[in-house]
Amino acid sequence: MFGVLLATSAHGAVDNERQHPIELRLRPRVCTLSEDDAACNTTVRAQWHSTKNESLCLVIVDQPNIRRCWEQHSEGVYSVEVAFSQDLVVQLRDTELDRVLASQAIAVIRKALQFRRKRRQPWSIFY
Amino acid sequence: MHSRLRILALLMVVAFCKPTGAIAQAKCTAASPECVAVGEWDLSVALGAGVRTNPVQGRSDIPLIVIPQVSYYGRRFFLDSLEPGFTLYEGNANTLNLVAAPGYDRVFFSRNDLQNVFVNGPLGGANFGADTDTEVPIEYRGHRRRTTYLVGPEWLFSYDRFTGQLSALREVTGRHDGYEIRGAVSAALIQTENSLVANAGFTWKSAQTVRYYYGVQELYRPDAALNPFVKVAYSRPLSERWTLNAFVHYEHLSNEITDSPIVSNHSVVTAFVGFNFKVL
Repeated sequence: MFGVLLATSAHGAVDNERQHPIELRLRPRVCTLSEDDAACNTTVRAQWHSTKNESLCLVIVDQPNIRRCWEQHSEGVYSVEVAFSQDLVVQLRDTELDRVLASQAIAVIRKALQFRRKRRQPWSIFY
Repeated sequence: MHSRLRILALLMVVAFCKPTGAIAQAKCTAASPECVAVGEWDLSVALGAGVRTNPVQGRSDIPLIVIPQVSYYGRRFFLDSLEPGFTLYEGNANTLNLVAAPGYDRVFFSRNDLQNVFVNGPLGGANFGADTDTEVPIEYRGHRRRTTYLVGPEWLFSYDRFTGQLSALREVTGRHDGYEIRGAVSAALIQTENSLVANAGFTWKSAQTVRYYYGVQELYRPDAALNPFVKVAYSRPLSERWTLNAFVHYEHLSNEITDSPIVSNHSVVTAFVGFNFKVL
């Protein structure tokens, strides 16, 4: 199940947009890092849909080199290779990049490895 | 001998009830030779050259060529090669487990013992002859020594750079109903990139256990035996997956065992040098 985040007024959207929310879905939803991994290196697939035509741009917070814009579209899909070590926030903004129309994040989960003391077996040939 | 048992049991109880009396080792926070990740399988294979001498008359020494190892440590349950167990209590200085462990003496009598299969691979490497007691001199042949498992509590403790363990085990596979007490202390002499660990300990075997392996019907009926041992193990990681390993283990056999007509040596020496490859 993909995460769904609806654009809300909390991001500065106007009432009109609240009535016609833009649906943004990301894949993957989370990235799990093992102890040896410094960052997630994965293909992020962003898919959006609106009930009316929109002119907007998809941007990723702290990744200024990534931007994809659409003119008068009601839906769009964008896939991009991204490396990130903290939660990755993907936003749909107006073409001036002033207003956030929708926002969604990919959570980075660091696998919390637990350790315990290993037994010694000096009697056996297994060290 | 029973008084010794009582003292050991008393030590076990007293020390476990006073965990603050021991200086805890550093808590495990990363993978190391001493620490393992909870919930992850560890599979490795050691390839090298080694031997374990066989004190039983007419039996060949056991070559050590391939030593697979598998372990899994969950929060409570663990499997350490052939020894499964359950952790009842785990603190920084003391741990109390319930373990099951195979009887080691059978390795001297049967090529097909699990512990030898693990060492030599399923095709075997030791020139044992048949998998029964046929090489024991015919006048002393007796029952077959079957695979046995022993179950009991195990206490692990740490004090400064020393670690120790003490287990009291009873045979539960219905072969001889004997007991074993195994105790050992380990000291890390070098604990840098190179690891050098010295171990000293003992195995006490009840009369039932000794008779099952080394007794001869109507001829030799041994009593309980106490076997002390020392072991030195060295390891040095060469890469992420490869580690150089070597160890020497010397066990002195009690007179109760060496007086048996089927035993010809007073000790068991195990030595191995090889490379350990971490599969998982």
